[in-house]
Amino acid sequence: MAPPAASQRYPSPSQPSGKSEVTDLKSQLRQLAGSRAPGVDDSKRDLFKKVISYMTIGIDVSSVFGEMVMCSATSDIVLKKMCYLYVGNYAKGNPDLSLLTINFLQRDCKDQDPMIRGLALRSLCSLRVPNLVEYLVGPLGSGLKDNNSYVRTIAVTGVLKLYHISASTCIDADFPATLKSLMLHDSDAQVVANCLSALQEIWSLEASHSEEACREKESLLSKPVIYYFLNRIKEFNEWAQCLILELAVKYVPSDSNDIFDIMNLLEDRLQHANGAVVLATVKVFLQLTLSMTDVHQQVYERIKSPLLTLVSSGSPEQSYAILSHLHLLVVRAPFIFASDYKHFYCQYNEPAYVKKLKLEMLTAIANESNTYEIVTELCEYAANVDIAIARESVRAVGKIALQQYDVNAIVDRLLQFLEMEKDYVTAETLVLVKDLLRKYPQWSHDCISVVGGISSKNIQEPKAKSALIWMLGEYAQDMSDAPYILENLIENWEEEHSAEVRLHLLTAAMKCFFKRPPETQKALGIALAAGMADFHQDVHDRALFYYRVLQYDVHVAERVVSPPKQAVSVFADTQSSEIKDRIFDEFNSLSVVYQKPSYMFTDKEHRGPFEFSDEIGNIPITPEASGDIVPAQQFEANDKDLLLSTDEKDDNKGVSITGSAYTAPSHDNSNISSQMQELAISGPATSAATPQSSFDFDDIFGLGLSTAPAPTPSPPLLKLNPRAALDPGAFQQKWRQLPISLTQDCSVNPQGIAALTVPQSLIKHMQSHSIHCIASGGQSPNFKFFFFAQKESEPSSNYFTECVINSSSAKAQIKVKADEQSTSQAFATVFETALSEFGMP
Amino acid sequence: MPVAASAIYFLNLRGDVLINRTYRDDVGGNMVDAFRTHIMQTKELGNCPVRQIGGCSFVYMRISNVYIVIVVSSNANVACGFKFVVEAVALFKSYFGGAFDEDAIKNNFVLIYELLDEIMDFGYPQNLSPEILKLYITQEGVRSPFSSKPKDKPVPNATLQVTGAVGWRREGLSYKKNEVFLDIVESVNLLMSSKGNVLRCDVTGKVLMKCFLSGMPDLKLGLNDKIGLEKESEMKSRPAKSGKTIELDDVTFHQCVNLTRFNSEKTVSFVPPDGEFELMKYRITEGVNLPFRVLPTIKELGRTRMEVNVKVKSVFGAKMFALGVVVKIPVPKQTAKTNFQVTTGRAKYNPSIDCLVWKIRKFPGQTESTLSAEIELISTMGEKKSWTRPPIQMEFQVPMFTASGLRVRFLKVWEKSGYNTVEWVRYITKAGSYEIRC
Repeated sequence: MAPPAASQRYPSPSQPSGKSEVTDLKSQLRQLAGSRAPGVDDSKRDLFKKVISYMTIGIDVSSVFGEMVMCSATSDIVLKKMCYLYVGNYAKGNPDLSLLTINFLQRDCKDQDPMIRGLALRSLCSLRVPNLVEYLVGPLGSGLKDNNSYVRTIAVTGVLKLYHISASTCIDADFPATLKSLMLHDSDAQVVANCLSALQEIWSLEASHSEEACREKESLLSKPVIYYFLNRIKEFNEWAQCLILELAVKYVPSDSNDIFDIMNLLEDRLQHANGAVVLATVKVFLQLTLSMTDVHQQVYERIKSPLLTLVSSGSPEQSYAILSHLHLLVVRAPFIFASDYKHFYCQYNEPAYVKKLKLEMLTAIANESNTYEIVTELCEYAANVDIAIARESVRAVGKIALQQYDVNAIVDRLLQFLEMEKDYVTAETLVLVKDLLRKYPQWSHDCISVVGGISSKNIQEPKAKSALIWMLGEYAQDMSDAPYILENLIENWEEEHSAEVRLHLLTAAMKCFFKRPPETQKALGIALAAGMADFHQDVHDRALFYYRVLQYDVHVAERVVSPPKQAVSVFADTQSSEIKDRIFDEFNSLSVVYQKPSYMFTDKEHRGPFEFSDEIGNIPITPEASGDIVPAQQFEANDKDLLLSTDEKDDNKGVSITGSAYTAPSHDNSNISSQMQELAISGPATSAATPQSSFDFDDIFGLGLSTAPAPTPSPPLLKLNPRAALDPGAFQQKWRQLPISLTQDCSVNPQGIAALTVPQSLIKHMQSHSIHCIASGGQSPNFKFFFFAQKESEPSSNYFTECVINSSSAKAQIKVKADEQSTSQAFATVFETALSEFGMP
Repeated sequence: MPVAASAIYFLNLRGDVLINRTYRDDVGGNMVDAFRTHIMQTKELGNCPVRQIGGCSFVYMRISNVYIVIVVSSNANVACGFKFVVEAVALFKSYFGGAFDEDAIKNNFVLIYELLDEIMDFGYPQNLSPEILKLYITQEGVRSPFSSKPKDKPVPNATLQVTGAVGWRREGLSYKKNEVFLDIVESVNLLMSSKGNVLRCDVTGKVLMKCFLSGMPDLKLGLNDKIGLEKESEMKSRPAKSGKTIELDDVTFHQCVNLTRFNSEKTVSFVPPDGEFELMKYRITEGVNLPFRVLPTIKELGRTRMEVNVKVKSVFGAKMFALGVVVKIPVPKQTAKTNFQVTTGRAKYNPSIDCLVWKIRKFPGQTESTLSAEIELISTMGEKKSWTRPPIQMEFQVPMFTASGLRVRFLKVWEKSGYNTVEWVRYITKAGSYEIRC
């Protein structure tokens, strides 16, 4: 079976070579077609092999279709197989020619030899040519009744293939019923298994439009059928066992005896050498006992050992598949695995994907009794050559510290990391120290003394730099040279590429100024000037805002920028428990490996560059809690990071006060926000009324800057109140009461879509059109907003809008409700115009 | 559905398709291009063996110089997918006589096509047992078990076995000499801290068998494991014999083992397949006897010199010996010159893996040997980065030794014709991942 010469196979399969060879083959085949000379089969074999090898490497050999079919009249089974393979591959592209093959395939289906009958039937069903289905029904029917089980197994799968080519033909021939009776009565295990997989597939596809199929699908899950399978599960091969176990998962047991019966029947499956069988059994056990808490616990204990064995045997890929599942279980019930932490220690040569999972598991199971050992081990990994793993390890130590087990010792370790003098370790550690400080401000003294010693020049990563700058601002009073470090950083403003870092610099300079005004005054001035000249919109806006709020009243500014901090008690969780439960329900599938439920990667609408982690319909309109600080966890609950960055937290405070409504404005601030708006509109004039009016404000910071008020948009047909206010409770009430007066679909221009990476961008835009957001949610590509607006002249006439935007299709749907129904069309026009201008420069 | 695989691809390291089989039409034809551009040509390769591109998921494994890729469009069962690949490779290996690589595929592509058709139909795995498939798909081409041609050995109804209940053994086998070979192969995994504490230690063992037995024999295997012995003494109502008993953390068995009887009587009884197979696998974490102790001392003398001293002690019986001992001692990348002395064996500096490789062909029990080396480093400009030391790794094989202490107490063969059998039992302990941090 030598392959053709290397020159023909290479250099590339896509190269359209082999034309002359194909013509050559064609003529040779033609010569042999009619010949009955002895030894002709051998030369045919060689030619066929050549054809197949061309086919494999991608050379189009469909032109010899006719010759191949002519040569197929043979009793040699090897030749037949190769011919079937060829025909199966090219029939779809040559439906007319395939008709030629029907004849000989049908004849072979009646061959004496069951092997040939089976092969012919399989090839016949694999032609996948819709207009040939009529020729399939007969051979399939007799195949199902064949006295040889090999033919029957193939016929059963054939029915499924027929269903996929033409569902109606399959149903009309009443094949599902035949399969059902075969499934329940055939003596051969493989026939039964194939019936089961075929019926499951057919009925679940049919169920959407046929009640009968629905009933049949249910009947597969009836007690007699389930027990029929489970009682003879040992007769099936390992793959069929997986199939049966998967079926058993869906079975709803009648009572607890039923549950224990099934578990007793299946217990020995946990000892099976095939990991897939073990996992499937584990799934059955877990699902059956969901309602019985203590038994469920025992199940965890029981399955632990087999799973750990599977992890340590087999290829890394296989252990990865098992580990992913173990990871899920560990996260669900960490205490059960707490004593097994040593199993999750990484080996030096393990692939990174295995190490990463292990690190996460070590983090999850850390508790009072094992923290010391686990953290010691993690510290070893921080010195790992693989930078990604080293980073993960530092992060893992930090996460354990945040869980509060023996923080004291862990803080020491983190500080040791800083002494390792590796850029990436230092960077990760800084981010973690920052988070630790946010949760445990009482540690500030120990941390700050070390952090103060780090030279900001060695830190390049934006995240780490931001963290350091945040600490400099927050703990300016404890670090003697904080203002000077900040000053240095601010002087290099132009070289700072990350907007995040620049934003942090602004805030830190402000905070530092409130604590140590004389030393920071100059730096703050430079920062504000540079910030206002910044090309980045957010940096510019924040600088301008700081400038104005300082101008208005330094004390208000301090309250806004640097209020007394509350320690963060719980950081936002990454995944909702609903999603976790869904993944758990889909145990033993890709969902577990991807760590997201299947609808996110199988449904078309959910796919895309970004994950969409909440169903659009579930975005609640919750009235925000009152208070100066919007609780961090209500903000961006979808954040992928475990911890919200300080940036977002600070933003949250700063911006909600400006009234530009990030997510939902908190209305206790409304008096400040209205004052601020007046300030913005009336410009420097109002500053005369402030206590600081005695000195020239601009001179303090060395700024000579006139603040021009933002031009208000030209008033559209309907005049809306730019300062309308409504509390979320009232919105909710109105939304319930009023009927929908208008539903409209419109498209969003491409620039808008490009700008719509986070809901906030649209909110700001609509704000400038006097349409205010009350609540928003979602992530690319689906966003949902609730807006309201008020008629300028009549404060009692409000408009309420629900707007759903799908950024992948660039479509928006708006529902308008109004106090004054008659003007809702006018409002919709205003809304649409505003929306259409979104993203325009 | 466990795996409704849509297609399977075999690619070489450059990404050329060696062979492919499309089982379903629900994925596009150019899946392999997607795999090439999104996985093979990026850093993603080796990052994660399961990847999603578009609506499809790719489950892939590298075996020697071949990538095997399974494409699925639904939420498939991953464990099943990997297991299928592993089993399929085992099947191919048994056909090709042990090797599975690019050349083997090229030389056998027609055979592989045939096998791919038999082992999976429309995306559902069928029978992958080599014993059965070899009955009707042979290296010489396809041989029909039903054809009326005379044969050397009568094969009774192969299709029954293709699909039937006792899938692992056919009837009517006969050998002149009835022999059973049983190997207990253990691999010790160790992770030791630089201070000499055992961080993690376990043994994964396999019981491999090779049976050349006539008829349908019933075999019974007795080990010195704790549960089995307790159960036995309980049943025979006499006290358990003194001596070491082993506690197995977990056991898995070949499908031929009667698990019901194992659960009730704790004996391993089975009708073996013909030829070679893996009877059971086990894992032990308690009471592991480590065959070797490694005592490293590494001193960094200034920025350009290092002193390495490694002492290896064998702690198994004095009459036994280890074979093929290899100790890999890591050194920094900027190593310029090495000088070393060893008391036994040979050592060499291997710059491609940044290790001193010390090989000792035969290492008797209860002895020790040392390597002392002086290493000169190239001084690097200004960088004060300290060298992170990878662990010392060790390879070895110790015949007639089990790290777990597991022993075969008896192996009984019973067949209705009552022939005599010869049983051979071997033990061997190998290094799994044997790592000592320094």
